[in-house]
Amino acid sequence: MEEEDQQKILDLVKELVHRLLSQNPSSKAPNSNPNHNPNAPDFQNALRYAIRILSSRLTPSIAPDAAAIAESIKRRLATQGKSSQALTFADLFNKFALKTGPGSINNKWAVLYLLKIISEDRKTANNGPNSVALLPNLALNDPDLKNDSRVLHNLTRGDRGWDNGVLLVAKDPENLREIAFKEYVNLVREENEVSEEVLVRDVLYACQGIDGKYVKFDANVDGYALLDTVKVPRATRLIVRKLCELGWLFRKVKGYISESMDRFPAEDVGTVGQAFCAALQDELSEYYKLLAVLEAQAMNPIPLVSETASSGNYLSLRRLSVWFAEPMVKMRLMAVLVDKCRVLRGGAMAGAIHLHAQHGDPLVHEFMRSLLQRVCSPLFEMVRSWVLEGELEDIFAEFFVVGQPVKAESLWREGYRLHAGMLPSFISQSLAQRILRTGKSINFLRVCCDDRGWADTATEAATAAGTTTRRGSLGYGETDALETLVVEAAKRIDKHLLDVMYTRFKFKEHCLAIKQYLLLGQGDFVQYLMDIVGPELSEPANTISSFKLAGLLESAIRSSNAQYDDCDILDRLRVKMMPHGTGDRGWDVFSLEYDARVPLDTVFTESVMGRYLRIFNFLWKLRRVEHVLIGAWKMMKPNCITSRSFTKLQGAVKLQLLSTLRRCQVLWNEMNHFVTNLQYYIMFEVLEVSWSNFSNEMEVAKDLDDLLAAHEQYLHSIVEKSLLGERSQPLYKSLFVLFDLILRFRSHADRLYEGIHELQARTMASSLPSQDKNKSRRQTSDKSSEPGSWISDGRKALTQRAGEFLRNMGQELDAIAKEYTTLLEGFLSQLPVQQHVDLKFLLFRLDFTKFYSQVNPIK
Amino acid sequence: MDPEAAKTARESLDLAFHMSNILDTGLDRHMLSVLIALCDLGLNPEALAAVVKELGREDSCSPPTPTAPSSAP
Repeated sequence: MEEEDQQKILDLVKELVHRLLSQNPSSKAPNSNPNHNPNAPDFQNALRYAIRILSSRLTPSIAPDAAAIAESIKRRLATQGKSSQALTFADLFNKFALKTGPGSINNKWAVLYLLKIISEDRKTANNGPNSVALLPNLALNDPDLKNDSRVLHNLTRGDRGWDNGVLLVAKDPENLREIAFKEYVNLVREENEVSEEVLVRDVLYACQGIDGKYVKFDANVDGYALLDTVKVPRATRLIVRKLCELGWLFRKVKGYISESMDRFPAEDVGTVGQAFCAALQDELSEYYKLLAVLEAQAMNPIPLVSETASSGNYLSLRRLSVWFAEPMVKMRLMAVLVDKCRVLRGGAMAGAIHLHAQHGDPLVHEFMRSLLQRVCSPLFEMVRSWVLEGELEDIFAEFFVVGQPVKAESLWREGYRLHAGMLPSFISQSLAQRILRTGKSINFLRVCCDDRGWADTATEAATAAGTTTRRGSLGYGETDALETLVVEAAKRIDKHLLDVMYTRFKFKEHCLAIKQYLLLGQGDFVQYLMDIVGPELSEPANTISSFKLAGLLESAIRSSNAQYDDCDILDRLRVKMMPHGTGDRGWDVFSLEYDARVPLDTVFTESVMGRYLRIFNFLWKLRRVEHVLIGAWKMMKPNCITSRSFTKLQGAVKLQLLSTLRRCQVLWNEMNHFVTNLQYYIMFEVLEVSWSNFSNEMEVAKDLDDLLAAHEQYLHSIVEKSLLGERSQPLYKSLFVLFDLILRFRSHADRLYEGIHELQARTMASSLPSQDKNKSRRQTSDKSSEPGSWISDGRKALTQRAGEFLRNMGQELDAIAKEYTTLLEGFLSQLPVQQHVDLKFLLFRLDFTKFYSQVNPIK
Repeated sequence: MDPEAAKTARESLDLAFHMSNILDTGLDRHMLSVLIALCDLGLNPEALAAVVKELGREDSCSPPTPTAPSSAP
């Protein structure tokens, strides 16, 4: 077929040449006859020339678009003003273009183009016969070219001006471009010892922590870098180094993960650490996926510039840097977290990560959020189980609630506490306190109160908070939900606990009982007790048997209103003899004790009971003094002493007697006034007021902590106000001195009245129906303490003895009185000075009439 | 050639001749047919036009001395 075509072409060309030659209007050739002579040299030359022209250009320089060519022709016609011809041409072209099928022209565009060029050529030829239309890419404006015969021929034809030469530049861009690209490719190949694909693959290896052929981990620069021995341009080296930062970060993260995995059996890494590692592993597997995709792409060869570059999947270093942008950010974050959390564990780790999550970039924020959700889930789980079930499953010491094994009674106060180091920063202090209290309450109920009812409250709380009691229902970011859950649970558990305390363990009743018995609230009981126990207690302490006292206590209870109290309460009341030395009397060591069992001993601990004991001692002393004075009063009944019986005495003695008696009474009155008012102050101003405050507090207490605090407050106020506190030591001492004085007075008063009674008895005896001399003789017998001596003395001796006795007594009474007054004044002067406790009511009562302040102005 | 094809060919030639007349190429029907045949065989129209132009000016110049060996297409 080729041969045929070639022959056809040759024939046609011959034909063409012949026609053209014969077409010449003024042919100077000798063979201008129409019969062409194929052998004529002119013809041959022309033929050869034609062939040369035809073979010089094989590809057209324009696109084979017939319509475009037609358009340009039409435009040309139109611009030349031949619009009608343009229309006609358009019409013709349409018809021409429609001709398809056998016999039609295939390369219509070629025909049109041909016509166009020929017409243009003719125009230019007609327009300027002097301007030589030079053959494209053969004619140059260079008269020196000798190898081109045509050019030479044109030159020798005469002086043709080359100035109007229209140079049609060959539209052959491929050649120049191709040459340039080939040069570039050679340059690139020279510069790079290693091709880019190999480098890309090495970088991908480096980003998984594996050393490649050319990219290895360099300990000096602490990173992956190209070996120095490899010859690559500096730009490539830099970009490889930058990309390998990802490899360095990856190494760090992976190192941490494997380290943690190794440390796990040693129980060094806790659950939170494990969760963190798991989250990191997940992120790394995402990263691996990306790397796998990239590796697949890296298999495609990178096309160099000269080849037709399809934008399909090949991987160059630059493309790699674009792919690595996002993983780089994430890996950096992970590396920072790894650094931070290397030494932390548990809640501290969660808190540190949380701090990092406060970031504005949404990508970072999202990443950290998902990470934190994983990391905090063990923590939240622990909180949930603690709050709803009181279980503390914390093998690795990561939770912020720390428990320690203690006895049942200190469970509440010391059994659990907060560990601030493990408290993550997204849980506030108050929330943590609530969490602690809730779990503590559940444990308290379970251990101390043997109560099972809290389980229902837990489920109630969970449903109220909208979550369930199953695992994993809470997560990070739901701190609000956690808070609601805790608040609900706390509310319910606290209420339940208080209910249990009040109803099952009768907390209020016990408090009241303590007040009645230990704080001597039950007056009649105390009175009986004192009456019965009093004589016993005057003995030295080591001779008193506590069994006897217990029996006496029983009888005291039974004879007073206390017998109607709950027997559970009465069971707990006991006598206690405090540790005593040799010189102590019973009065010093006697005390009552109340046995508060679990769970009440959470409130009434040892130290609390100790304080109650101190108050009891004080109150007991006070009562004793009161009792003493009442006893003295009983003795001082004026009816016993009728002045009638003393008419027989001498006037001086009588006067003495009267004045002594009077002084005694006055002193007694003062003392009584003092004691009564002090007693009243203690009983009402201190005890009752504190008790009512405490009752109010008990009503509004929401949980056991509140209750404990209220009780503490109650005791504290009592202790302070009854002058038992630390800072009231001097007052306390002076008070006790006063008490001692009053007791001494009692003994003196006893003696005095004994003596008077004896005197009275003697005078009465002497007024018996016997001789007057006998009577008078007996009346003068003295009233010395020896009972037997007066009988023998006569009246004078009696008077004398009486006078002496009375004088002694009077002196002693005076001494006592003076001492008393000084002490009392001292005491009273100290009262207003007290800063820490408000004693103005005591002062008011004691000094109601301002008697003392007038006598001795208090400065 | 069957009559249809012949007819098509003739009509195409007519149209092309009309067009060439409009464009004032100075080609006669016979020449045009040869040229069209050459174009159809795949020759470069630019080259053909050049041939036409060069050989059409043979009137004003003497035939060139044979120099470069002709290479058959």
